[in-house]
Amino acid sequence: MKGITLPRATIGVSRWRRFRAAVDWPLILTMLAICAIGLLNLYSATRGVRHNAKFDKQVEWMIVGSIGFVVVTVIDYRAIIRLAWGFFGVAILLLIVARLTGGSGGGDVDTHGQTYRWLNIFGMGIQPSELVKLAVILLLARLFSSSEPSHYQGWWWSPASWGFKFSLLCLPIVMIAVQPDLGTAVLLFLIILTVGFLAMPSVWPMVYLLGGTLCTIPFLFEKLHGYQKDRILGFIDCGVAATKTCWHTQQSIYAVGSGKLLGKGFLSGTQNQFNFVPEHWTDFPYSVWAEEWGFAGSVFLLAIFAFLTLWILNVALSSRDRMGSVICVGVAAMTFWHVVVNVAMVLGIAPVVGVTLPFISYGGSSLVTFFLAMGLVANVSLRKHGY
Amino acid sequence: MMIRGDSGYGPALPELHRRLRWVALLGIAAFALLVGRLWQLQIMRGDSYYERTVSNVVKERYLPSVRGKILDRKGAPLADNRPAFNIYATPNKLTPETKQELARMLGLSDDEIAKIDERLAVGRKRDPKAPVLVLEDQGRDRAALVEQARARLPGVEVMHEPYRYYPQGDLAAHLVGYMTQMTENEADKLGAQGYETSELVGRYGLESAWENYLRGKKGVERYAVDARGNRLDDKTAAALIQGDRVIDPVPGANLILTIDADLQRMAEKAVAHTAAAAVVVVEPKTGKIRAMVSKPSFDPNVMTGHLTQAEYTLLAQDPRKPFIDKAVRATYPPGSIFKFATALAALEDGQAAEDEPMFCTGEYVLNGTHFSCHGTHGKIDLIGAIQHSCDTYFWKLAERIGLDRIADVAREYGFGAPTQIGINGDSPGRIPTKAWYDANGHYRPGNATNAAIGQGDVEVTVLQMAMAYAALANGGTLYVPQVVERIESYDGRPIVTFQPKVEHQVKTPLDAVDTWKRGMFKVTNELGGTAYAHGHIEGLTVLGKTGTAEVKKHHREDHERDLEKWNPNSAHAWFAGFAPAEDPEIAIVVLVEHGGEGGAVAWPIAKQIIEGYFTKTHPLGTPIKDMPGIRRNR
Repeated sequence: MKGITLPRATIGVSRWRRFRAAVDWPLILTMLAICAIGLLNLYSATRGVRHNAKFDKQVEWMIVGSIGFVVVTVIDYRAIIRLAWGFFGVAILLLIVARLTGGSGGGDVDTHGQTYRWLNIFGMGIQPSELVKLAVILLLARLFSSSEPSHYQGWWWSPASWGFKFSLLCLPIVMIAVQPDLGTAVLLFLIILTVGFLAMPSVWPMVYLLGGTLCTIPFLFEKLHGYQKDRILGFIDCGVAATKTCWHTQQSIYAVGSGKLLGKGFLSGTQNQFNFVPEHWTDFPYSVWAEEWGFAGSVFLLAIFAFLTLWILNVALSSRDRMGSVICVGVAAMTFWHVVVNVAMVLGIAPVVGVTLPFISYGGSSLVTFFLAMGLVANVSLRKHGY
Repeated sequence: MMIRGDSGYGPALPELHRRLRWVALLGIAAFALLVGRLWQLQIMRGDSYYERTVSNVVKERYLPSVRGKILDRKGAPLADNRPAFNIYATPNKLTPETKQELARMLGLSDDEIAKIDERLAVGRKRDPKAPVLVLEDQGRDRAALVEQARARLPGVEVMHEPYRYYPQGDLAAHLVGYMTQMTENEADKLGAQGYETSELVGRYGLESAWENYLRGKKGVERYAVDARGNRLDDKTAAALIQGDRVIDPVPGANLILTIDADLQRMAEKAVAHTAAAAVVVVEPKTGKIRAMVSKPSFDPNVMTGHLTQAEYTLLAQDPRKPFIDKAVRATYPPGSIFKFATALAALEDGQAAEDEPMFCTGEYVLNGTHFSCHGTHGKIDLIGAIQHSCDTYFWKLAERIGLDRIADVAREYGFGAPTQIGINGDSPGRIPTKAWYDANGHYRPGNATNAAIGQGDVEVTVLQMAMAYAALANGGTLYVPQVVERIESYDGRPIVTFQPKVEHQVKTPLDAVDTWKRGMFKVTNELGGTAYAHGHIEGLTVLGKTGTAEVKKHHREDHERDLEKWNPNSAHAWFAGFAPAEDPEIAIVVLVEHGGEGGAVAWPIAKQIIEGYFTKTHPLGTPIKDMPGIRRNR
């Protein structure tokens, strides 16, 4: 990389020691702590059931994720951002391929009907919709950082182009929504909205976008699949649609509530151990945690996530450039909304949508995506002083 | 190219700085919401949710209790339990293919398949994880077939369960009763004790009256399950369940009756040739019922769970009304056997004397109404009137004493009120008085004339008559009829032993009763007696009275009839008596519904039963000739 001037604030210190000093250890430690809690919880959640292999698999995915984390941290994020359009294109392509070839990689055909969220690569089912989130964050960073330089001229850089750009960003949302994967679609929308609110010169375009979307909700609702409608109605009132999902939420609430102040203890949650909350290792790990560790443990876990989000925002604030800031805001938004939506769903105050809990939910796609996202933050953090 | 930026100094994203407070606000609001919800669920409602999760895991199962037996006085079982093979199916495990396989394997009829479907549908609604009884009391071969093919029939189980069974068939069927499935009301009441709608409860006779003792108490087993309803192993369960894991069921108590099954069988055999009849044999000294027959009968084995609609309809449409207990529930005009009330009332009042002669022309006129006696008896005294059953004599007595005196004595002997035997809805019958006639129209002196010979509006049950004759036999003690001797627990420990219960002592003077007894002696033991002509017992003095109770005509023509041997225009044939004369051991009343003449029809039956009692089933097994008080006819 020619021409990059790096401030030499640490002259005389070896390259390695400078690197070590610049690495964002709090971020990494927080992440590892959450991973440890996730593994602990997964061990309890899948113990004694015929899902033993899940624990080992999760560990493997963590190793893969860690390698991804290091790789993403090391490559300068400005170089990555240059390829943002490319990533975005690839992500869209993967979605199309999943649509054409895909089936259900998961075992939930009976509950969801035919879905197209899985892509089979080398025998591994991955969900491209997870990777789309990263691509969207990168593209957002690219778009928002590019607005600054005055020498960028022409329609593409004019405010009028924003409508077009947002339409492009919304393309994956629509594609994911029809997979159907309502949770990821809503989450993508929330990420775009949050980043827009925090990074655009004026908030009004985002207000219009939000208002417009809210207006279309009744029409969109009519387009939903039966089971999706049931989930939402069942969330509002179990009596309206007494479905599996409603039972699901009910059992989850029982699990959380029965934890009381200090929980039933590790491996002692009856709701969890005897599978009253189905698939609790993917979307409902928080119910397992809350049942076994009680209010104290539940708040502790939330606090760690709050710290993680704040720390990422801190990185955003201290980033050396706009691009890095927007990346961090995007990752913070993604983490924040994942946690809030997932926990709200477990606590029965949001409909059941397939939104994972970062680093805790079982599943390779989600785990690796978050490792990569944190890698981007570490990347920005590493280079804030011009390393 | 130099990438232009803010070079790490100052805010890279000023918008973020400006809107940071909004971010903080949103973040705090969101986390506060979640923590608040956690507080609500875990701290405020934690205890109740904890209970819910325990009840998710810990389930209760009722353990069936074995129903108590009904035994005769010597211990012969009248109602017992035998192992039955019941086939259960679990609704959410049973696939249509499995059901077809089951139907094919057992060769089920369409009816049976329909029944299975219906029961599965009910079970699915209630609890799809709980096995439902689909085929009850299957044969050994069917059970074996299902057991062998268990691997191919997921969700189907064979259970060996006790099933009610009546080893003596229709013996004493009305007394013992039968069981049927619960009604909605009963299911509501018993549901709390763990009874299911498909279970049987006593419906008739003692099975119904003593249901609470016979039923026993269900046990409870508590066990732990996972979300799929699979049972967890005992070690896991023990950690989850506080308190007793198993509360053992208490088997029902056994009823030991006063009934003698051998005597009962003889009595039923004696009326076998009749179309409809009732017999009561009672011990005068205690009021214990030794045999009680109501014919036509039914087989309680068939009634209990196996009765098809068609069979039920056939029984229900029988004009003889098999479901009405003819000994306890049905009422009949008593005819001449009721004359004792008229005679005793007159003797008590001094309005009659044993040797007072009267003249029977075969016709009696009261206020212009003609009553005809069944014969022309000429000059006759009271004893002769009893012996020949002369109506005129009693009509004249009634004229002297009036209707209410007859009614008084009848009530004294238990008529007009239920006997309190406590089964099958014993009827009070009807003893009309002047007041009753005035309340139901208008009293006429002719009413007393009819009542004097047990006709008109007098209605009694066979059991009432038996208790009344027992009181005549024992010197004036009217007992409450007793059928249950004692109750024992399943392992033979006595729970309650019932003592004979005296209703009251009748006030009739003994010499009046003796006069009546002398008349009864002549009925059965002397030439000209209404019974003697139709046979008598050598070596045993039986005192008796026959009755032929006229009935209102059901059909216009006498030859019309509903059934062969059962013509509802015919009179009821009665016999009431006791033996031996000196120290009566049994009192017996026989009624043959529309049987005809009492002496010709009812007496031979009673004779057969009395002979049987004293030769075969007598408790001491004493031959007649050695019996005390036996006087040979010379």
